[in-house]
Amino acid sequence: MNQDTLKRGAAVLAAITVVVAAGGCSNKAQDSGSSAASGGAGDVQTDIGVEGTTISLGVLTDLTGVFAALGKDITNANTLYWKDNKVCNTYDVTLNVNDTGYVPQTGVQLYSGMKDSILAMQQTIGSPINTALAPEYTADKIVNFPSAWAQTLTEIPGTGVVGATYAVEIANGYDYMFKQGLLADGDTVGHIYFEGEYGANGLAGTQAVAKKRNLTVVEAQIKSTDQDMSAQITQFKAAGVDMVALTVAPAQLASAAAAMQAQGLDVPILGSNPVFAPGLLQGPAAEKIKKDLYVASPVSAFDAHPDLLKEYQAAYPDATPSLGVLVGIGMSEIMKQVLDSACDNGNLTRQGVLDAFNALTKVDTGGVVVPIRGFQAGTSPSLQSFVLQPADVPGGATVVADAFEGEFAADIAG
Amino acid sequence: MTQFLSLLLNGLSLGALYALIALGFVIIFKASEVVSFTHGSLLLLGAYSIARLSDRIGFLPAVLAGVALTAAAAFVIERVVINRLRGAPVISLAIVTIGIDIILLTELIRRIGSDILNVPHPWGGKSFRIGDVGISQNRLIATAVAGVLIVAFFLAFKYSSWGVAMRASAEDGETAALMGIRLGRVSALAWIVAGALAAVAALFLVGAPTPGVSAAAYTVALRAFPAAILGGLDSTGGALVGGLLIGLAESFAAGYQDQLLFLGRGFGDVVPYVVMIAVLLVRPSGLFGTKELTRV
Repeated sequence: MNQDTLKRGAAVLAAITVVVAAGGCSNKAQDSGSSAASGGAGDVQTDIGVEGTTISLGVLTDLTGVFAALGKDITNANTLYWKDNKVCNTYDVTLNVNDTGYVPQTGVQLYSGMKDSILAMQQTIGSPINTALAPEYTADKIVNFPSAWAQTLTEIPGTGVVGATYAVEIANGYDYMFKQGLLADGDTVGHIYFEGEYGANGLAGTQAVAKKRNLTVVEAQIKSTDQDMSAQITQFKAAGVDMVALTVAPAQLASAAAAMQAQGLDVPILGSNPVFAPGLLQGPAAEKIKKDLYVASPVSAFDAHPDLLKEYQAAYPDATPSLGVLVGIGMSEIMKQVLDSACDNGNLTRQGVLDAFNALTKVDTGGVVVPIRGFQAGTSPSLQSFVLQPADVPGGATVVADAFEGEFAADIAG
Repeated sequence: MTQFLSLLLNGLSLGALYALIALGFVIIFKASEVVSFTHGSLLLLGAYSIARLSDRIGFLPAVLAGVALTAAAAFVIERVVINRLRGAPVISLAIVTIGIDIILLTELIRRIGSDILNVPHPWGGKSFRIGDVGISQNRLIATAVAGVLIVAFFLAFKYSSWGVAMRASAEDGETAALMGIRLGRVSALAWIVAGALAAVAALFLVGAPTPGVSAAAYTVALRAFPAAILGGLDSTGGALVGGLLIGLAESFAAGYQDQLLFLGRGFGDVVPYVVMIAVLLVRPSGLFGTKELTRV
C-alpha cells in the first residue's frame, strides 16, 4: 500500500511527485505468466490500456451540456495533474477525454468506443451516466471516479465516491451548526430537496439527525426544474423554522435565499455541496447567501490551497476556476494512489487495479479532498466533511471548518 | 393567515406572468390556427439576450433590444416556416413548432451551459412588505406591468383595426380573406406580439425570487400551456383567468404540501395539469373557449 502523507496547501502537486519519487513503489518482479511491459516498467503484469510506459485512462465528461463549466474545470484539473505526475515514477498517464453532453445514451456509446483502450476511468460526470454505465463498468472491472456523492453510487463495484455521501455530508453540516450555536436541540428545520437519489440521500441525513436531536423537520420536495421557492419558504416561515436545509441546485438556492429575504425569514441555510456555484455571488440574493449560507463539502477551497489556484490559473488563464478544480485534482490523486498500489503489487491489469482499489484503507490527498477510509460497497467512503462559506474570492468560497467527523457521521455512514 | 396571504400574493403574481405567456399562445392560435410549442425557447431567448446585452449596453436598452429580438425571432419563424405551411393539418404544424423549439432550445442551452446568468434589474432582490406578508419588488412590478399589458391588449383587440382583422380571421379565415383582410399580415403581427409578450414575461421570471437565466426557465412556458388550454385556447379572457388559476393552484399546493400529503410529495408540480384536466372534463372547450358546433 502506498500511502503518501502530504502537507496541506503549498505545492501539493509538486510534493506528491517528490514523495512518490522518493518513497513510492518499487516494481517488484512477479510470477511468470505476466506480460511484462517494456521500458522501465520491469515485470509488471498488464492487459488493457497500458502501452509500453503509457497508461490510458478514460474521461466521460460534460463539455457542452448543462454541467459544462464544472466538466471543464474537473477535466482541466485531471489533465494538469497527470502532466506533473507519473504512476510508479515510470508510467505516463494520457487521458482519453470524451464529451457526453450529459446525455446517458451518448455516454454509453462513447464508452463502448474506448473501452478496449483504457485501463480505468478517471472521471465519469453525472449520476444518470454513472448509473447507465454501472453494468458495463462492473463487467469490465473498471475502476471509476464519479463527480457525485449519492449512496447508490457506492454500491457499484470499482466506483469510488470522492468523499462522504450526501447523507453523511449534511449530517456533518448539522454538527457544525449545533456547535456554532446556529441550531439547538428541539428546533424546527425546513428541508427543500430534489426528488430522486440526490435529494432523498440528503433528506435521509436530516432525518437521522432529527431523530437524535429531536428536531422537527418540515419537508418540501421539488423537481430540478422548479425555479420559484417562494411557496416553500412561506410554508417554512409559517412553521417557524430555525434553519433551512437545501439539497438542490444553485438555481433553487438563489430562489430560496431571495424568497427568505423578501419574506423576512432571517435564519441560516445549510446546503449539500452541489447547491453552491460562484455565479450566485453576482445575483440579487448575494448578500443573504454570503451572510447565511454554510456548505458541507467533500473538498476544500482555494484559500487553503493557494498554490493550486496559481498553478491552475497559469495553465488556464482564461478560466474562472470553481471548486470543481479541487474535485478534479482530488480524484486524480486517489487514482494515482490506486495505480501506484497496483503497480507496487506488480499487477497493472484491470483486475489488479480493481484489487488495489478494493484494498485501499486510507487515502490522504493532502487536504484537497476529505480523508478517505476505503471503498466498501454500500458505505460512505469518508466520515468527514469541510464546511465552506461563500466569499468574494476565486472559487467563491472559503473554508470555515477544516475536514472533521461530526457526531452523527458514523451512524449514518453504514 | 399570513401564510395564506403570502401564498395568495405569490400565486397572483406568478399567475399574471403565466397569463402573459398564455396570451401569446392564444393570439397565435387565433391568428394562424397553430398550437405553438415554440414559446419555451422564445422565452429563454428573451431572457438570454436581455442578460447578455445588459453588460454591454445597460439594463433598459437591453430590455428593449431583447424584446425586439424575441419578437423578430417569432416573426422569422412565422415567415419562414408557418406561413409557408399554411393550410397544413393543425397536428403537422404543432409538430413543426416542436421541432423549431428543440433546435432553438438546444442552441440556447449550449450557450448558457451550467452558468446562471444574472439580469441586473435595478430593483434587484429588494422586497415590499406589509406586516408579515412580503413579496419581492420584482414580482410586484411584474404584476403591474402584466396588468397594464393585458388591459392594453384587450383594448387593442377590441378597437384597433388589427384586433378586428384578427377576430374576423379567427372567426372565418376564408370570408375574412374575401373581405380584403390579409391573413398573412395578421398572422405575422400575432407572432410578433406573442414573442414580445414572452420576452416581457421572461424579464421578470428571471428576477427575484427566481434565480437568473438558466436552462430551467424554459419549463415555465410549459406551465403556461395548461393555463391557455383550460381558459379555452381561443379565448384571450380565458388566458388571463387560466394563468391566474394555475399560478394560485401552484402556489397553494406547494405552500400547503404538508396538508396535502395524502396526495403525495411534489403535488405542486402536477397541479397545473390536474386543474386543466378537471376543467376540461366539465367544460371540454375550456372555461371560455368557443364550443365547436357540427351539423350532421
